[in-house]
Amino acid sequence: MKKTIIFLVLVAIAISAFANTDVVVTEANTHYQNHEYQQALDSFLKLNNEGYINTDLFYNIGNCYYRIGQIGNAILYMKKALKVDSANRKAKRNLEFLLTQTKDKQTVAKDNLISKFFASLISNISLNSLAFISLIIIGMIIFIIHIIIHRFAQKDRVVPYFIITVLAVFLILVGIISNIKLSAYDNISTAVLLADTAIGFSGPNTEFTRVFTIHEGMIFTIEKEQNGWALIKLSNGIGGWIVADTFAKVSIR
Amino acid sequence: MKKILIFLAIIFSYNLMAAEIEVESYVEQTTIGLMDRLKLTIEISGSNATKVNAPELPAIKNFRNLGYSTGSSSSYKFVNGKAESNITKKFTFSLQPQKSGKFIIPPVQINYKGKLFTTRPITVTVTTGSANKAATSSTNLNRANNNNSTNVEDNLFIKTIVSDKNIFKGEPIIVEYVLYSRYDISNLSYGEDASFKGFWKEELYTPTQISFNTRTYNGMRYNTMKMRTIALYPNVTGKLKIPALEILADIRTQSNSFFDFGNTKRFNVISKPISIIVKQLPTTPANYSGGVGNFTINAKISDDQIKVGDSFTYTLAISGSGNIKQFDIPKLPAINHLRFLDPEISTNLNKNGISGSKTIKYLVIAQEQGNIEIPPISFNFFDSNTEKFRTIKTKPFTLNVAKGDLTYISSSSAQTTVKMEGADIGFLVNIEKLENNLITFKSWGYWLTVLLMLLTIPISFIYKKEQNKLSSNQNYYRSKTANKILRKYMKEATNHAKTNNQQFYGAAQLGLANFLADKMHIPRGSTTEKMVSKLSEKQVPAKLYQQIEQIFETCNQARFMPGGFSSDKIIQHLELLQNAVAELSKLKF
Repeated sequence: MKKTIIFLVLVAIAISAFANTDVVVTEANTHYQNHEYQQALDSFLKLNNEGYINTDLFYNIGNCYYRIGQIGNAILYMKKALKVDSANRKAKRNLEFLLTQTKDKQTVAKDNLISKFFASLISNISLNSLAFISLIIIGMIIFIIHIIIHRFAQKDRVVPYFIITVLAVFLILVGIISNIKLSAYDNISTAVLLADTAIGFSGPNTEFTRVFTIHEGMIFTIEKEQNGWALIKLSNGIGGWIVADTFAKVSIR
Repeated sequence: MKKILIFLAIIFSYNLMAAEIEVESYVEQTTIGLMDRLKLTIEISGSNATKVNAPELPAIKNFRNLGYSTGSSSSYKFVNGKAESNITKKFTFSLQPQKSGKFIIPPVQINYKGKLFTTRPITVTVTTGSANKAATSSTNLNRANNNNSTNVEDNLFIKTIVSDKNIFKGEPIIVEYVLYSRYDISNLSYGEDASFKGFWKEELYTPTQISFNTRTYNGMRYNTMKMRTIALYPNVTGKLKIPALEILADIRTQSNSFFDFGNTKRFNVISKPISIIVKQLPTTPANYSGGVGNFTINAKISDDQIKVGDSFTYTLAISGSGNIKQFDIPKLPAINHLRFLDPEISTNLNKNGISGSKTIKYLVIAQEQGNIEIPPISFNFFDSNTEKFRTIKTKPFTLNVAKGDLTYISSSSAQTTVKMEGADIGFLVNIEKLENNLITFKSWGYWLTVLLMLLTIPISFIYKKEQNKLSSNQNYYRSKTANKILRKYMKEATNHAKTNNQQFYGAAQLGLANFLADKMHIPRGSTTEKMVSKLSEKQVPAKLYQQIEQIFETCNQARFMPGGFSSDKIIQHLELLQNAVAELSKLKF
């Protein structure tokens, strides 16, 4: 009897918690529709601070940031949304749009056809669908092994072995792609400039030579960090030291 | 009628040409001694040469005419399957020099069919004594052997003929190398090929076989052969050297005796290098095509009455002499409603290598009806004669384009795709249920599932092995199920024991017997004795062996001996049995 009561209480708390987040989401949506972008942003950020990791949530936060004119944060959150689900078409489109709004033109390295194909293959499959695919392939391989054990004891096993080989190749491919994506997911060296401008110096001090000036929304990679300075590398290959508190890293937590 | 006239005209002109004769005069040597005789030959060639009367030699100062001898030869040539006869008549006059010095043999005039043919004057040097030892000719070759080099050079050399020595950059010149020889040449080969620095070179003629023509040069008769003809297009300015041509000539020497068949001697003949001056073009105008020479431009269209969608050809022809291969074709202005396809360009050079024509053919498609004008097209080149840039133009054309069967949608008026007028960020995503997007690869559930799936493999494998053992081995099956049977009978026996039933002993005995039979792989229903004896063979502890023996005995007593059953001892026997069974099940058979 006691157990049932505890269980019911737990269920009720869970339901109320869900209901609570749903209320916040609807509230935020309403604010957004009424052009109250700051309030909408606050609501979404509250959910984010509660620890929710959701591609749509990041997308919406990025959207709100764009509406209140913080393009750097908008780009940051679109990158986060894409980090959670790299196949998110809306976030991709928005990021493309946002990059046209920045002051600096962000050069994108032009790949050849093959690497382009792989890049699109990698970016268009989300990690979770890869996990699902890998589970299916593993299941199929195990199923065929069972069949071999039970039905092919005295028979020619060429056909099942062949199928297993093909499936294994697919599994390896999925594994490679997953690994690449996972390392990209865990990699937090990518950052977005949030300050209006940042000056790149040739060393971690303002006394060094100025190398470049970048503006809000610039995406770059961080190579090294020390004493409140960070060595960054721009997509066109230029590197320099900028003050560390001008940017935010694209990390989920 | 017209055709016949043309035919007659051709025949007539042919006859006229055939009537032409050529007259030439030459001497055997230009330097003779006072004691020698000068051999002056008047050579008349042509198909009608035989009809020419003997020439009258004019009075030659300081020479005495000793009379003449005649000789004639005829040759047939087949050119393109047509026979051409050529008759040569020679009148060789013997002239006795009267005194030494430098004299001129005046021109000899020959009257043929009312036409006057005149030979060129020849300068002759008469020295005292006889100069015959230096004489060389193709019939006197053994002397060539002993000759000093100056004489060889006089009789065997290459003349370089350059069409122009003062040219502009890009203007072509023709260079011709001609071998002159008075020797009997058996073989010719080229020496090292020189590099033509500063020129763009085009080969026009290289002989494929040795064939000589006779030609008079400096009043002497030579065998000549065109060795090479090239067209050169200078691409730098300044004084340029046209490299010499080197030819290796094998000359047959005359045999000295009947058994001597003669030898050949190789001579290295090198032409004299010639320098030319290449001038820089004046500042070029913007529309300069790169052409140097003298050109004319001509344009024509195949049809000027067409329908929309039809095509016609627009042909530009630039002809003349100059660097035809090297200039850019004139640019077409954009003409509305006409679509010019990529042109087909062909260049035809005449045999001389520097004149010819360039034809540029455009296929044009009319795209709209109305009167369309093709404007004049201009071509700018450097006129090497006047040394000025000149622009020449074609005449304009007016096309009448009628409405066609096809409606042609020109690319400019075609439908356009809807253009983006502005861009904005995408709208919010309506989150129906906020859930964490977890990374499945990082969740324990994923790896647990994989592990569980993998675990099914050994399980399945072991299961299959068991199945195989059971199906293939009856004894294994029996010993495997023996415990089950024992348990079943033990349960039954325990139940009987609880109710003090005599059937306890029967169940106990049967269960134990069957268990042992299955375990030891002996047929069921074997006698107790056999079982006990078999059991004794196994490594069974003596105590257990005695217990089992005792149980069997007790059971037999209780079942078959009258009064052997007593309900007091049944619990005691059950305990005994349970102990034995416990011991037995620990054993391995």
